[in-house]
Amino acid sequence: MSEITRRRLLASAGVGAAGIGLAGAGGYLIGSETAQADDGTGSVPFYGEHQAGIDTPAQDRLHFAAFDLVTEDRAALRELMSEWSRAAAEMTAGKMIGDANDVQLAPPDDTGETVGLLPSRLTVTFGFGPSLFERRGLGLERMRPPALRDIPALPADELNEAEGGGDICVQACSDDPQVAFHAIRNLARIGRGTVVMRWSQLGFGRTASTSRSQETPRNLMGFKDGTANIKAEDTEAMARFVWVGDEGPTWMRGGSYLVTRRIRMLLEIWDRSALADQEETIGRDKYAGAPLGGSDEFDPLDLEAQRNGKPTIPIDAHVRLASASVNDGERILRRGYSFTDGVDESLGELEAGLFFICFQRDPQSQFVAIQRRLGANDALNEYIKHVGSAVFAVPPGARSGGYVGETLLG
Amino acid sequence: MINRFPVRPALLAAGVSLVALLAAGCGSSNNAPEGAKKMSFELTDAGCVPNTAKAPAGPINFEVENAGTTSVNEFEVLDGDTILGEVENLADGLSGSFSLTLEPGKYTLYCPGGSEERGTLNVTGKFEAANGPEVEAAITQYRDYLEKNTAELVAETEPFVTAVISGEVDEAKTLYAAARIPYERIEPVAESFGELDPRIDARENDVPAKDFGGFHRIEQALWVENTTEGMTPVAKQLLADVEELQRKVRTVSLQAVQIANGANELLGEVSASKITGEEERYSHIDLVDFEANVEGAEAAFEAVEPLLSKKDPKLAKEIEASFEDVYASLKPYRRGSGFVSYTELTKADTRKLAQEIDALAEELSRVPAQIVGE
Repeated sequence: MSEITRRRLLASAGVGAAGIGLAGAGGYLIGSETAQADDGTGSVPFYGEHQAGIDTPAQDRLHFAAFDLVTEDRAALRELMSEWSRAAAEMTAGKMIGDANDVQLAPPDDTGETVGLLPSRLTVTFGFGPSLFERRGLGLERMRPPALRDIPALPADELNEAEGGGDICVQACSDDPQVAFHAIRNLARIGRGTVVMRWSQLGFGRTASTSRSQETPRNLMGFKDGTANIKAEDTEAMARFVWVGDEGPTWMRGGSYLVTRRIRMLLEIWDRSALADQEETIGRDKYAGAPLGGSDEFDPLDLEAQRNGKPTIPIDAHVRLASASVNDGERILRRGYSFTDGVDESLGELEAGLFFICFQRDPQSQFVAIQRRLGANDALNEYIKHVGSAVFAVPPGARSGGYVGETLLG
Repeated sequence: MINRFPVRPALLAAGVSLVALLAAGCGSSNNAPEGAKKMSFELTDAGCVPNTAKAPAGPINFEVENAGTTSVNEFEVLDGDTILGEVENLADGLSGSFSLTLEPGKYTLYCPGGSEERGTLNVTGKFEAANGPEVEAAITQYRDYLEKNTAELVAETEPFVTAVISGEVDEAKTLYAAARIPYERIEPVAESFGELDPRIDARENDVPAKDFGGFHRIEQALWVENTTEGMTPVAKQLLADVEELQRKVRTVSLQAVQIANGANELLGEVSASKITGEEERYSHIDLVDFEANVEGAEAAFEAVEPLLSKKDPKLAKEIEASFEDVYASLKPYRRGSGFVSYTELTKADTRKLAQEIDALAEELSRVPAQIVGE
């Protein structure tokens, strides 16, 4: 593993001998757990009981990619996960990947665009899709967790197959967009010949807070999103709703299941709807974020409250239908990002929305059940459509020196 | 319908809260208009209590409580055979309310299941409309449009349903578009009646598979399966549903702001599901629906235009011009009495149409706030 941090390389290249003095300064980044630092110096350890990027306080930026295997050789898959894990550990520590970055006649191992950039709390999270377990040559059919099934057709779906699915996913999150992009780009490069990229998604702003230390962000509709999200500090809720326990196959213990939904927002229509209509659609005050009938963002939803003989929070309001109390107590950890990908070619409208990500113990009884309810009745459906869908089994974290997926492939 | 289904009781409520003073001519609403006369009734084993009542003409808020009966759980006010307003499913101890604006006359109180089911409500005096004559004119004009279109819907659905039941696939395909048009013109109003819109107009996956019926189920059978087999019950239900819609529209309460909002919603429908080819995904007659939505929006706009012109004549003119632009942009795709199939449109075509709609809709969205208080 390279011992050169990106900062140190820059310092030594730029100022010669002075670089030695700075090396120590750069070195403190390695392995530190200053995950809360928001000046870019924070780094999140790659190795651990759980993979990082789930209970990590949501970073500002995302680059997510799904890959398909082009081989059915299990050894090749093992080798890939091993190389990916090593590279991910280097990148999250703020180091360049590989050893050969200064050979004049060779292309550098690291593509280089993060040289001089801080770790920026990069996390890299890997997951395995249902289709991986259907590749006969791999011989993984029997290892497939019962919980890992394709998301069934749901109300309000307008899915485009090219924007969903995949054998393996990589979620790269960082507070610096270039650091997140660099991670996906370099992993894709390492994987060439073994995997091809099926789809990828950039996210430019987090739409959920996953820690009590974080302010609730706003989504592109201008509303605070994720107020009632599970917070990482709530270890009881994490254990109950997010981390796989004894129910799964052994190799998934301490892992989780990740669902992505690419949700296109019909912003042109939303923007021309009246404020009252927007607030009744969501069920919250647009600016304060308080549930209708409440005064503070964190006031509990009063689903019984009436105004003029009608529910204060309308029966089809998004917050009502998404709330745990109408979903048999089921909750999910949301970790989504806003996206925009230019102009919709056939509509000339903004191609933008929410790249929804959630983690849970069992997608069928959690995401799917909640979305069934939402999809059938949610007032918000007038303004959104789900165009991409994928589900992945996210294995537990790797021990230092090991690799993610070792519990399955080792 | 859009993606999606339902039913926006929220929208109605929003409209009402903005303009509680615009209570309509004669109809039902779940929100009490300001200054409404309050009347309390109880449900008992005997039926409605009191069973005979008097009220002054004008807005009345009916408050109904189940005082401990298991045989009666419903309270209705009828004019002849037409239900003007009702509360249902009031179990023991529950209460509910609704408002009506009643003109002088004799109405029936109906508590089915009571030992005396029917009673009388005598409304006397003179009702001074709370609305100015221009608002009344707007409401009347749009109400006429609604009734004309629900009548047309029933008239066009009948032969379509007949063709489906008698197994004439080609004939049914020919008649399909004509039945869709009147529905698409008044869709936001249809959506205000709970489950009716999803029953008539849901698309596959909008509802659980077992509940998938209505126009689009038959569309799927005709164009994908090329048969009418198994469609008889679906067709019969569709006809019953559009007839129910026609009855309900007669009693709907309207406000000027609501009419203006309806115009916006219709253009939202165009943007979300017509221009994307999602509405008529088997028959590809999306441009037929597109035009019907625009016509419906225009009718709603025309009804409130005199109110808007007083406040913002420039905006009214701009909107008129934008409607013309939209119709002009549709023109190249006309074929005979219909349109080219959606599948013949290029991305450049749909892009131009979508952007015309967005331009018009952005202007139209400014209308409701302008006419509040009129």
